[in-house]
Amino acid sequence: MMPDMQQVGQAQTQQWAPKINAPVVLLENVSKTYGKIHALSEITLALSGGVTGILGMNGAGKSTLFNMLMGKLKPSSGSIKLFGTDPWKNPAPYARIGFVPEHEKMHDWMTAHGFVSLFARLNGLTRDEAKVEADRVLDFVGLTDVAHKQIGRYSKGMRQRVKIAHALVNDPDLIVLDEPLQGCDPLARTTIMNVIRELGKMGRTVLVSSHILHEIERITEQIVILHNGRLLALGNLHAIREKMDNIPHTISIGCENPKELAKDIINNNAVYGISFPRSDNLQVQTHNLNEVHRELPSLIVENGHIVNSIDNPDDDLESILNYLTGGFV
Amino acid sequence: MISPPKKDNVFRALDRKLGAVAEFTMRQYRTKLSTWVVMGVGFIAIAIIVLFYVDSMQQEIEAIDNDGDSMDWDGDGYPTGQERIYGTDPDNPDSNPGTFTPPIAPDPPEKWINEDDFDWDLSATSDTTAGYDDDGDCRLSDTTESQKDRNRNNVNCDIILDYSEIRGEWNDIHSDGFVDEDPDEEKYSKEAIHRAFLLAIGKMGFVFLLGIFLPLFLATGLIREEMENSTMHFMIAKPIARRDIFLGRVVGYLGIVWPYVIAMGIIVGLISGFAGPSDGFFRFADLGMWMAIIFATMMATLVYGMLFCALGTLWKRGIVLALPFAAWELGMAIVSFNAPSASILRFSVIGWSLNIIDAASLIVWPNLGLFIEMGLWGGGHNSNFWGSELEGSGALSVFASDTGLGISPIATIAVSTFVLLFQAIILWVIGSAVFKGKEIE
Repeated sequence: MMPDMQQVGQAQTQQWAPKINAPVVLLENVSKTYGKIHALSEITLALSGGVTGILGMNGAGKSTLFNMLMGKLKPSSGSIKLFGTDPWKNPAPYARIGFVPEHEKMHDWMTAHGFVSLFARLNGLTRDEAKVEADRVLDFVGLTDVAHKQIGRYSKGMRQRVKIAHALVNDPDLIVLDEPLQGCDPLARTTIMNVIRELGKMGRTVLVSSHILHEIERITEQIVILHNGRLLALGNLHAIREKMDNIPHTISIGCENPKELAKDIINNNAVYGISFPRSDNLQVQTHNLNEVHRELPSLIVENGHIVNSIDNPDDDLESILNYLTGGFV
Repeated sequence: MISPPKKDNVFRALDRKLGAVAEFTMRQYRTKLSTWVVMGVGFIAIAIIVLFYVDSMQQEIEAIDNDGDSMDWDGDGYPTGQERIYGTDPDNPDSNPGTFTPPIAPDPPEKWINEDDFDWDLSATSDTTAGYDDDGDCRLSDTTESQKDRNRNNVNCDIILDYSEIRGEWNDIHSDGFVDEDPDEEKYSKEAIHRAFLLAIGKMGFVFLLGIFLPLFLATGLIREEMENSTMHFMIAKPIARRDIFLGRVVGYLGIVWPYVIAMGIIVGLISGFAGPSDGFFRFADLGMWMAIIFATMMATLVYGMLFCALGTLWKRGIVLALPFAAWELGMAIVSFNAPSASILRFSVIGWSLNIIDAASLIVWPNLGLFIEMGLWGGGHNSNFWGSELEGSGALSVFASDTGLGISPIATIAVSTFVLLFQAIILWVIGSAVFKGKEIE
């Protein structure tokens, strides 16, 4: 029971090293139950390299999954391996992992630099090394100017960037971000998305969770969809979308004269229905979304219609889930 | 990527994880209002006790003429004591030393108050005799030889100090009568009250009050509050074992509490050193006592810190679990005053901590046991006469006690320290095991 002088997470004699050829993240039949409630059931997943979006509605099990990856929760069954090591038994892999928690609570009394450099020392850096490292990561997320201000006086987006900076200490191979865009203003969103994309380009394995599809879409195409604790889909977002193109879709067009526009649109073969929910709005039903979107711009320009907006109201996570579950959401 | 060098010395290693957790904890607690409130309340509580002490040191202790020989019963101007020495009749105004040739001037009555002070060798550790009849009222009075040797040791006008080897304490004091019967109350009482104060504030003020309530309010939340605030993520998702987080948090808490305890000890030690009775301007002799009080309190805050931190980790309302412990320890503190060798004390933290203070009191004041007996005997008077025990001796006898281990004071300190460290390590292991198995939402 000696303190961890060797800085490897456990009182062991040799330095921890990742297992060769082991995936960065490996989950095998992982379930987590609270009494009769299944928070996660039978998740099997292997991830190495690139940015992966973890998508799911609130309560789908994203945070439970992340908390298990971060050694906060113990899986009820199955095994979790990070770099080939079970994190519940040995925290050594966290030397190669950065985590951005979802919770907003931070140590508001610390400065960003103080916070990042102090927690960098938990990665095994000395005081001096940690200060240099804190300067580097705070510069990476663009907070150098305000690094010596108290976190409590930061805006939400800045706080989020401090958390990301703290996760980037020691240049980890795996970065896990739990809802990093939640509650951020558009400018902060863009900055954070750029940071995540850059990390992906640098060859890191990045896990980002979100319940908003278009956020993830701007970051990555590789997605994992969780629903009610189950792994619903895994793969390329566009492939999933393309399959969806053959099912009925609705396009909502906001314009000044819906009736006139409807006359021109109904000629399109892919359109099989039109409705008028409001006087300045038109809804088009189609089973081929791509074709309608291809035709629509020229049609509007040629006939001189005044169009304010074009939306796919059901082109979001819910519609994908609807499609994947066959409507049993 | 900055990779840690292969070879580390202890200081470089401590600069890292464990040191970081401890430093974080210290900085976190410094910014918390509750820390300062708890410490402020502790300061006020101790200050009130100190005020009572300083007040009692300032008060005059009334000198009592225990044997009544300052009185001039016959009204001839000569105190009874003076008349006795010169062999005149204290009850006859015509018989006094003024009729002598040359006539002897009458003594002022004050000379015959406190005129027969203690003449004891306090280093005695076995049956011995003591006392000297300063005013001569035993040696010179017209009593019979058997009355002059009431304790029947064939020595006139002395006192037998009867020591029981079996019980390790003073059995009784047998005086021939009129020997050391009119002691200097102020001299004895100030010393006794001072010693009683040191023991009382050391045991109840420092070891009990600070030793339990600082950990109760500061250590219970060390792990729990981070879990509740969801800020534990920043520590958990790092390559650091949970038992090191536990240890680092407790070390950080000690980094706040120990300097506070040391500062309080120095402040109260300085006040009592200047206010207490001494030949010089400062009682340097008490230094050992204050070192022991501070050390015992530090050990108590260490063990209770580990205990309460573990209880806080175990349950959200860990303070509810901690309060019965505090009550138990108060009970044990009271037991230790009356029955220092009771074996139930071995199952407490405070029993071992108080052992350190008791052992130190025997080193600093080797004559403490006899000193207490002396005051309780108080010249051999009972309450029917002018006075019984001397002021302060009763309080001192309550707060002073034997170490109860039956070994030398130095060995007692060593054994108690070892036991307390052992308790702390066991509680660290238990607390880390609880923390290790804890799922954090």
